[in-house]
Amino acid sequence: MSREFKVGLFIVCTTIAVLLALLYLSSEKGFFANVYTFTLSSKSGDGFTDGMPVVFSGFKIGQVSELELNEKGLVLIKIKIPQRHMKWIKADSTFILYRPLIGAARIVVTTNNLDSAPMPPRKIADVEIVNDINDLIKIVQPLIEKITQIAENLERISKKVDKMADKTDEQLYGKEGTLPQVNKILKNIINKLEKLDTTVDNINKISKDTSEGTKDFRMLRSDIDDAVNAMDKVVIKLDELISSKKNPEFEVP
Amino acid sequence: MNIALIKQYHENMPRHKAEQIVLYALQRLGLLSIAYKRNPSLTNEERFCVMLLRAVMVRDAIVIIDRPLNIIPNLKGYDFIFQTLKKIEDFFITCHIYDYKWMAEKYGEI
Amino acid sequence: MSVLENIGRLEIKMFKAFTDTIMFAFKVIFRMFQRRTYSSAMRMVLLNQIYFTSVQILPLFFIVSIILGSLLVGIVFQLLKQLGLTDFFGNVLMGLIVTELSPFLTVLLITLRSSAAINTEMAVMKVNREIKTLEIFRIDIIDYLILPRIINGVISLVLLSSLFSILLLTSGILFSRLIFGMSIDVYSNIILNSANLSDIVISLIKCAIFGFFITLIPIRFGLKASQELTSIPIVVSGGMVGVFTAIIIIEVLSLITKLF
Repeated sequence: MSREFKVGLFIVCTTIAVLLALLYLSSEKGFFANVYTFTLSSKSGDGFTDGMPVVFSGFKIGQVSELELNEKGLVLIKIKIPQRHMKWIKADSTFILYRPLIGAARIVVTTNNLDSAPMPPRKIADVEIVNDINDLIKIVQPLIEKITQIAENLERISKKVDKMADKTDEQLYGKEGTLPQVNKILKNIINKLEKLDTTVDNINKISKDTSEGTKDFRMLRSDIDDAVNAMDKVVIKLDELISSKKNPEFEVP
Repeated sequence: MNIALIKQYHENMPRHKAEQIVLYALQRLGLLSIAYKRNPSLTNEERFCVMLLRAVMVRDAIVIIDRPLNIIPNLKGYDFIFQTLKKIEDFFITCHIYDYKWMAEKYGEI
Repeated sequence: MSVLENIGRLEIKMFKAFTDTIMFAFKVIFRMFQRRTYSSAMRMVLLNQIYFTSVQILPLFFIVSIILGSLLVGIVFQLLKQLGLTDFFGNVLMGLIVTELSPFLTVLLITLRSSAAINTEMAVMKVNREIKTLEIFRIDIIDYLILPRIINGVISLVLLSSLFSILLLTSGILFSRLIFGMSIDVYSNIILNSANLSDIVISLIKCAIFGFFITLIPIRFGLKASQELTSIPIVVSGGMVGVFTAIIIIEVLSLITKLF
């Protein structure tokens, strides 16, 4: 084997191996595949970008190649689809620009009937726009307004309750409040009861000597009657006072 | 093969064709055996012949030999030079030998 | 003042050397695209150069590629598995090993073998006045001596580096099966998905640039030798340092281009 033959063999074999590898890689990457262009339209170009993927059932089948405005002000979006994915694009396919909260925007192709006719290249299909974030804002906004209102109401209520609590405190614990009055009343009752003790002692004295004490008994009885009546009134007044906040004061006869 | 290089380069001749011309010339000089030898393994006379052949490979060569004793220090008779030139006289147009004046008698009748 | 002068002198010398090399490179590239350059003599030299640089070392190259490449791939795979980064093995294999390590190891192998030889050959030819003899016979040094070696460098490095990568990927099949239990289909799918055509093309261009400079620089240094034999080791060592500097610069530049 001559030197020329060896060198030639080396160069040819290695070059062929490298070229085959590159060709295989290129063909697998779709470099040599026929690519078809379809045109979509939208009222707004907002959200569309060159290179944006076109997705069918979660798989990328193409991408946006060009964006332009037509004379009517509509945005024309050109998408390139390789030959092998042409079967997913039909005349009745719908195209949706989907902008998720997390992740890149993409054009989602939905084809309900895969047996329908393929989409003609000259047809300009409309693109619907679905924005996760805008829809979410629409739903959440009224809720937020409601919550704001509720919060404001709660604030007002809590202020009122504070005022009421202050008043109640004043009414219960203040100088002219209920509790000090009750204290006064109870003191009066105690005084009366002490008087009653005295009266009961007198009764005992009188009971020992009944013959002489009839007048005294009558007097005594009227004393008792007066005392009991007074106590009745006090108790009634006390009842009224505790149950009625508006008339905390009364005078003990 | 340094001799063949001249033809190969200047006339863009294929290697084997240039080699054939050189081998023919070497054969004429009776030095076919040295065809694939390298410079250090040559004798002075052989080296002189190779240098001469290399010079005559140039098209329409005008050969100038500068002080032959520099190439063949132990040269006894200058007849060797003339005989060598005669054997390949069709390869060149003219040949000029330059040497010191006191060496003239060694060359004898040219 | 003398320190500053020395620094300035050194900088000027380095800058001049750099610009001279670049100018010479342009001159060589210009000549490369001229038809008349490719004479019979030049083609013969080119053939011999390719033979000595690539074909002669092929058996050794295969052995080194298979052993070193396989070990490298095996270790990397093992490490990825330990770190739980098995998802990235395609990217590591293609992005790091094939497009970076493969050219770098090939260039080191060729530099150590061929660049040193070219450098010495040029220096010896200069000392022996063979360069001068060629000039006397109107044989263009660039066409006959320099261009065949440079073209050989480019061709050899591109082809050998590609061969190294192919052997690496093939040994990767074995190791992916052993370590990850991966079938050939899955392995080739992962490689295809990770492979980037632009990276591979950049890698091949990088190999060509490597091949150009690892032959040009030793030639330039070799031709700087004087008439003394003692100048030979000086120019050879200078040339080899220049070659390794060029390798690092080219590698850094290629990494920078990858960033963009």
